[in-house]
Amino acid sequence: MKTDLAVVGGGLAALTAARAIQRSDREVVLVWPGLSSLYFLYATIDVLGYADAGAAEPVDDPGAAVAGLIKDQPSHPYARAGRPALEGGTKMLLEWLREAGLVWEGTLARNVLLPTATGTPKPSCLVPASMAAGDLRRADPIVLCGFHGYQDFAPELAAANLRRSWRTGNQVSAIRIAAPGFDADRLFTSIDLARSFEDRGFRAEVANRMRRQISGDGVRVGLPAVLGLTRAEEVYADFETALGYPVFEIPTVPPSVAALRLFDRLRKHLQETGVELFWNAPAHAATVTEGRCTRILLKSAGREQPIEARAYVLALEDWVDGALRAGVHLVRDPFFGRVIAEHAVPSQRTAESIFGVQPYAQLGYPVTDRLQPADETGRPLADNVFVAGGAIAGYDPSGTKSRGGMAIATGYRAAMEAMAAA
Amino acid sequence: MITEDFEPVTDTVEEQAPVEACTKCTACNTVCPVARNTEIFRGPKLLGPESERFRIPQEPSVVAGLDLCSGCKLCEVTCPSQVSIQTYIRRAQNKGARERGRTLRDFLLGHTRLLGTFGSLTAPLANLGNRNPLLRWFMERFVGIHRKRPLPRYQFLTFERWHRRHPRPARARRKVAYFYGCWVNYNERRLGEMVVAILERNGIEVVVPRQQCCGIPAVVNSNTDLARKYGVQNVRLLTPLAGEMDIVASSTSCGLMLKHDYSHLLDIPGAEPLGARTYDICEYLWMLHEAKELDLDFQQVPMRVLYHAPCHLKSHGIGYPAMRLLRLVPGVQVEEVDEGCCGISGTFGVKVEKYDLSMKIGSRLFAAVKAAGSDAVLADCETCRMQVEHGAGASSAHPVEILARAYGYR
Repeated sequence: MKTDLAVVGGGLAALTAARAIQRSDREVVLVWPGLSSLYFLYATIDVLGYADAGAAEPVDDPGAAVAGLIKDQPSHPYARAGRPALEGGTKMLLEWLREAGLVWEGTLARNVLLPTATGTPKPSCLVPASMAAGDLRRADPIVLCGFHGYQDFAPELAAANLRRSWRTGNQVSAIRIAAPGFDADRLFTSIDLARSFEDRGFRAEVANRMRRQISGDGVRVGLPAVLGLTRAEEVYADFETALGYPVFEIPTVPPSVAALRLFDRLRKHLQETGVELFWNAPAHAATVTEGRCTRILLKSAGREQPIEARAYVLALEDWVDGALRAGVHLVRDPFFGRVIAEHAVPSQRTAESIFGVQPYAQLGYPVTDRLQPADETGRPLADNVFVAGGAIAGYDPSGTKSRGGMAIATGYRAAMEAMAAA
Repeated sequence: MITEDFEPVTDTVEEQAPVEACTKCTACNTVCPVARNTEIFRGPKLLGPESERFRIPQEPSVVAGLDLCSGCKLCEVTCPSQVSIQTYIRRAQNKGARERGRTLRDFLLGHTRLLGTFGSLTAPLANLGNRNPLLRWFMERFVGIHRKRPLPRYQFLTFERWHRRHPRPARARRKVAYFYGCWVNYNERRLGEMVVAILERNGIEVVVPRQQCCGIPAVVNSNTDLARKYGVQNVRLLTPLAGEMDIVASSTSCGLMLKHDYSHLLDIPGAEPLGARTYDICEYLWMLHEAKELDLDFQQVPMRVLYHAPCHLKSHGIGYPAMRLLRLVPGVQVEEVDEGCCGISGTFGVKVEKYDLSMKIGSRLFAAVKAAGSDAVLADCETCRMQVEHGAGASSAHPVEILARAYGYR
């Protein structure tokens, strides 16, 4: 199939790039290998949480911290994308979230500190409004509420961890209720709860049962992010009113309802505004002639199909969606087939501790100043191909809590470059 | 680096992914239309790759819950690791049915050609019977077909017989073979006639080879054995043609069987060449357009239509060729309704114990269709069209019908 521009990937970088191109009234197709990390991990958009993967203190002002990082490390992907791309991309994204019906808050000037499901404070930049009241920089006491039989959120564990790590030493308590209709011996997920929360009667009964266990004035109530699936804004507002306390959601492990809402809305909005999606089509194998990529191949049912575009944005996120292919010793990229890293043993890619600084997280495409994938000498592998998101080498998206900001900045910049090159 | 000496580094995703490729990310469970609408279904992750680890060929198959999988394949479409979730589910289900026997209903629903032959021979009677409340009560009670589900109308003149009498075009620049499938043959001959008219208008002679049911109804009715038998026959009948011409299918699921499931799900040897030459009709017409061979001399078709992308079309991995074609036709206003699975999934929503669930799955789509209002809802898949008509009270059509009209067909 022939098209003006093609974006490969399904994560935030790919969606940002596709949106930026579409807003300029250019033709763009979005090619998906399957769902990306956006679907599992993103509940918030983190621009820069920690200055480096080993830092102990979270960043307060991510915009300023990124500016500093750009000055100190000119080869960091943030520096390659540039500050205008982060600012332009963030502005576009916030407008887009509003247009797609999602209520989010935040600015580049400030991080909020939100509790995770295990009770760790995590710095985030842009967050759903339904999580904002969880900011640990505020002092009011917290009641965490779980559901009997729901295994992805243990309020007692989260509360104990928060009491340890939340330095202002404020009150955190834990309660559990039985969700109406959910027997504790039944296996259920956040999706089941979220679906039930769309029912008004269920919400009212949950609020009743919770209110009976909550005591104290001025408390705020945290519960796992299960407040509605497709009508979350309405469910949240209604539930908060019914409960009578400020409420905040805490993102859970997959299936993460918070991530699902973000992804589904943005995808749907793109489709409704005319971006064509190629589902179930892992892309690979770029054909490069005289320094330009003439096509990439999709693994469609029955055969490989070429996509011929004038320019391409490769925005695969990470190992999960196939941005890189690892054999026993070699790590290759799927488009140019180049060796990206070589290891004597695979364990060289990982740190002993799962919480350590992971060498594999840094692997990816070396890029030029315009985000083109580069060879050893720094020359572009193809003039009209641009990389965005987690597949760029030289940063650790999880360790520095910068996955979202990097996706926005590089996705936006790659889109601009691709449009200029097409 | 000894391993590189005897084994080149291969893409882990390239081949059919092994059960270990499942990273437990749960994406499949979150998109599964059945899991989203009922709590009694454990979801594709558990019934597919996770249970697969415990399935031992020598031991009886555990089939509990497998029948709740509707076979829409959205789990495979969204799996980032390309795990063959459906293959695990369908094979386990088939093994269970082999051990315990199949119900009369599953036998009937899997034998579409048998039903079609009987239905078309007795067409007026069969259609009357399918609308008779007493008979439908009887069918619900003793066969397990929900009485509220409208059944497709049969027609006496089959597409096969129509085409035998259809005059060949005098000149043609190329030939294409048409896999019309049971639906066009027994229920909607007009669609087949339109496909032929459109292709002939573009200077293409339509060859209608002998063919068997593609096998998808058998696959989703616990009978991959039967589907495989059909598949082997089709591979034998159609492969010689695939050397000379492309094959087009106007039914999304038939096309997917030929393209992909014969070689992957059913392991039919030598099915790849046939799959590689098979195209969805809209995919094929768009290729003609890109090759500047599509006649663009269209008449105005002043219609506001909604397009619903069938789940199995997503499985093709070809984007939305119907939408692209529709945008070529002057006067047509086309919008996509993106509300996911319609719920019927072939024969799933026909069954007495699945009907309500099927309507619940489709309720989002029905509401959106009603709210948007349109002259017709277009969908490439025939059972999606049945479901939209039933659930949203909208009229429906295959996208090629718009093209046929633009060419002045009747």
